[in-house]
Amino acid sequence: MKILYIFFMSIPLIASDSSFNQEMQEYITQLKIEALKIDKNFEDFDMERGEKIFTTKHLGKRGKEISCTSCHSINLMEDGKNIFTNKEIKPLSPSVNKKRLSSVKEVKKWLRRNFKDVFVREGTPQEKGDVLYYINSK
Amino acid sequence: MKNILLVTCFIVTNIFANNYLFGASIGVKPVDNPLYLKECGSCHFAFQAGLLPSRSWTKMMKNLENHFGSDASLELEDQKYIEEYLTRYSADKSMEYKRSRKIMNLIKNNETPLRITKTLYFMKKHDQIPTKMIQQKEVLSLSNCMACHTTASKGIYSERAIKIPNYGKWDD
Repeated sequence: MKILYIFFMSIPLIASDSSFNQEMQEYITQLKIEALKIDKNFEDFDMERGEKIFTTKHLGKRGKEISCTSCHSINLMEDGKNIFTNKEIKPLSPSVNKKRLSSVKEVKKWLRRNFKDVFVREGTPQEKGDVLYYINSK
Repeated sequence: MKNILLVTCFIVTNIFANNYLFGASIGVKPVDNPLYLKECGSCHFAFQAGLLPSRSWTKMMKNLENHFGSDASLELEDQKYIEEYLTRYSADKSMEYKRSRKIMNLIKNNETPLRITKTLYFMKKHDQIPTKMIQQKEVLSLSNCMACHTTASKGIYSERAIKIPNYGKWDD
């Protein structure tokens, strides 16, 4: 009975990770370890916290109030547009754009740049994981 | 003698072929580097290397963290590779192309422009355009080449390939 309980309890944890490919899963695990080092009460990333980070406006690097959705649009399954250059941005949602969240190198690059552009600072490991869970759920 | 003639013929044909495609003049060498196209072209039009001198690209690539107000930082390896590409085909090294040559001719030796739109040749070519044509949402700014120059990605900036959104052809 106890074994069964542990089995069912662990399903959500596995499920939340399983849609990432292997290198991304390893990156998520690494982020979790870093998040735990900063906050010993840390349990798991959370897509709702991620959504808040993604949609809340901040005074960005250019001195203009922006959020991630300013360029990526609120519907991640649709094209976005860079509001400064007018360049079209392919959908962020991995369900319609298979390339998204598939390369750790790409993911690290965009998280680094875009947190700086919107928040004028790097994201914490927890914030990065939250945002990745949010995007992955779309 | 015959050989020299042949080689000269070959070179001339090559330059001709490089500069003309389907009758339109290729003003600047088209981008032919996949990494440059991917990395720089994901946020803005992939401006051809031949639109700025080598020293400009070097200076720009050293400060990608503050790239015209955005963080465009790259892994060092990719940054070096792209800088090498841009400086190898920069305007001062592509003088066989008309636009590169004209841009260079109007840049002073002590100048290191970072914005293509602030080079004298560019400004002269765009100073007659009414602000309302530029500031409309389909264009946004003069750095959005493709909005009006329909063949910009081929390195062709000729007047007959211009189509300004909501206004149409442009006559000087």
